[in-house]
Amino acid sequence: MAIYLQILSNGLMLGALYACLAVGFSLVWGVLNVINMLHGSFIILGGYLTFFAWHLYGIHPVAMLPVVAALMFALGFALQKLVINRVVSAPVLTTLTLTFGLDMILYNAMTYWFTATPRRITLDLGAVQLGSIVLPVDRLVGTGLALAMTLLLYAVMRGSSIGRAIVAVRMDRSAAELMGIRTDRIYAITFGIGALMAGVAGVVFATVFPITTNVTGIWLGKAFVVCVVGGLGSVPGALVGGLVLGLVESFAGHWFGPQQAITAGFVLMLVLLLTRPTGLVGVRGYE
Amino acid sequence: MFAHGILRSARAGLLAGGVATGLLAAALNSPALAQETIKIGAPLALTGGLADEGHKQDVVWKMWVEKINAGGGIQVGDKKLKVELIEYDYQSEGQRASQLAEKLINDDKVQFLFSPFGSGHTKIVAGVGERYQIPTIACVASSESVYDQTLKYLFGTLSPNGGMTTAMVKFFKEKFPETKSIAVLGRDDVFPKSMAEGIAKAAEAGGLTVAYKELYPVGTMDHAAALSSIKAAKPDWIYITGYTQDLILARKQMQDLGVTAQIVTMVTGPSYKEFTDGLGPLANGISSSSWWHHLTSYEGQGVWPTTAAFYEDFKARTKGDPDYVHGSCAAAGEVIVDALARAGSLDKAKVRDAIAATDIQTFYGPIKFGPNGMNLSRELPIIQVQDQTIKVLAPAEIKNADMIAMP
Repeated sequence: MAIYLQILSNGLMLGALYACLAVGFSLVWGVLNVINMLHGSFIILGGYLTFFAWHLYGIHPVAMLPVVAALMFALGFALQKLVINRVVSAPVLTTLTLTFGLDMILYNAMTYWFTATPRRITLDLGAVQLGSIVLPVDRLVGTGLALAMTLLLYAVMRGSSIGRAIVAVRMDRSAAELMGIRTDRIYAITFGIGALMAGVAGVVFATVFPITTNVTGIWLGKAFVVCVVGGLGSVPGALVGGLVLGLVESFAGHWFGPQQAITAGFVLMLVLLLTRPTGLVGVRGYE
Repeated sequence: MFAHGILRSARAGLLAGGVATGLLAAALNSPALAQETIKIGAPLALTGGLADEGHKQDVVWKMWVEKINAGGGIQVGDKKLKVELIEYDYQSEGQRASQLAEKLINDDKVQFLFSPFGSGHTKIVAGVGERYQIPTIACVASSESVYDQTLKYLFGTLSPNGGMTTAMVKFFKEKFPETKSIAVLGRDDVFPKSMAEGIAKAAEAGGLTVAYKELYPVGTMDHAAALSSIKAAKPDWIYITGYTQDLILARKQMQDLGVTAQIVTMVTGPSYKEFTDGLGPLANGISSSSWWHHLTSYEGQGVWPTTAAFYEDFKARTKGDPDYVHGSCAAAGEVIVDALARAGSLDKAKVRDAIAATDIQTFYGPIKFGPNGMNLSRELPIIQVQDQTIKVLAPAEIKNADMIAMP
């Protein structure tokens, strides 16, 4: 029994991290209909900013959170405004190719500057023991930060005028334009928020996982699966998708061996695509 | 009329120039001049996931080429020929490595290939070399499956993986006789998988119980489930294989989840400086094995007559310590030097046969190829991280510390 409680807690903590990495990706895909291939590299860029601030200047990762968030928002906003907005109305394959190309530039620039050597923030905060369950403190903090940022984004989307404008553009771009919403600006803000959330995920991940450009594709792949499982374009979708994927990978890893853990996640995605294309809590029309 | 004359003169001039250029080009391409340099082609992972490993190969090959050319080149028959190294970045994508190997052979006319990092990509490049009968020297491929394809033109400077498992089981059992069980977790990739399979077999043969044995797929970013199962199995020895990022994550999660044993081995983690840098104090106590260590003291032929000479040169160039990738790849060049000196010509078949008959001593250790083209087994160093530095536990001649249990 103890081992199942441990696996349950492992899965929930992993799931919260997955939710954090996918929420920005889901937002950009849902609102802009852009499959942002840069997302994995954005996460690692956020991780590198955090690592070097800690390594060179001793700045604690949590203190870097607002800095990285602001820098990544600015980068995302500028990229959308100056580059992606030019083709945002084109078929999804065009924007996918564009972000793929931009990703190759960013990925290789990071590999060139930072090398692919795995780096780690060696804070090692220890673990909390609850009965027979061990909860690593950095994962607990990461989970808390991930949930807090996801809920903050949810609140912004529900309660602020920018959030409502984003939702309006997502629902009907033409109607939103007729209501006086500057869609180009909303697109840039949305992409900026997507990059911001990727950067935040990077800060959180920098304390938990090794940072290397080798894993950009892995994080991008996870974001895909989480979006399909949870449902596109909604914050709760990313949260539910992340938690479900974390739990499925953890239990599959225990029952069927670690070799099958990733496979189980993809099988779940395929089953949902066949039976429930909107995802578990997705909105109809975004499948 | 005048204009016509000028045009005619110009045409004649152009024609003469063209003929001269053509003749020059033909002369440059003639076998006599084309052989004035020995061309070695290297598809390298200078960008992408294997960029770090690619750069390690790049730096020592450049060092070797500079040294060899400074000495006048390689002796082939009665003349010395300079070496030209032609490198292309295959961006860590196997398919591209194959295309670039073709280009190196067909366009650049290389006479030798240096294969890229890892057993998987070596397999790809060696296949191309074989098709064109171009000798391929692999310096970072140790899985015997790569050499069991009956490739006549592939030679590897690393010894078989098997040499790293049986000796380790014997050594650890001597040091910790109470060791009864082992848990093995391996990355599902050519080299890490073969090491995981190898240690499990060697452990069983050595009388240990294999309490857990699983593979994890490439791209795994969470080992919690596997480590929780290992914790429940309570093994005396935990053996994990993978690449540096996998092993850093696994060690970190072991600490988080309170998973430990008196012996923890990670292959090839501690062989790389980035492993100890990334883990800090968490690296302490982790053991491993390696094909070479700079504390060894070999002597032999080549541009670096001793291990110390290579170490000094490397240190001066990079400010860091060399690992087995550097050592093995630098020694790969000496295989070519020795074979050409004995073959006395650049004839493909003669050079291939000369490489197959290699039996030399180098700063890296002995190089003598077995029937499958792999460097023959020898006693490989068993190492352990103590106080965040690498200590050699065995063989006895180069040992500089006693083994300690995991802290």
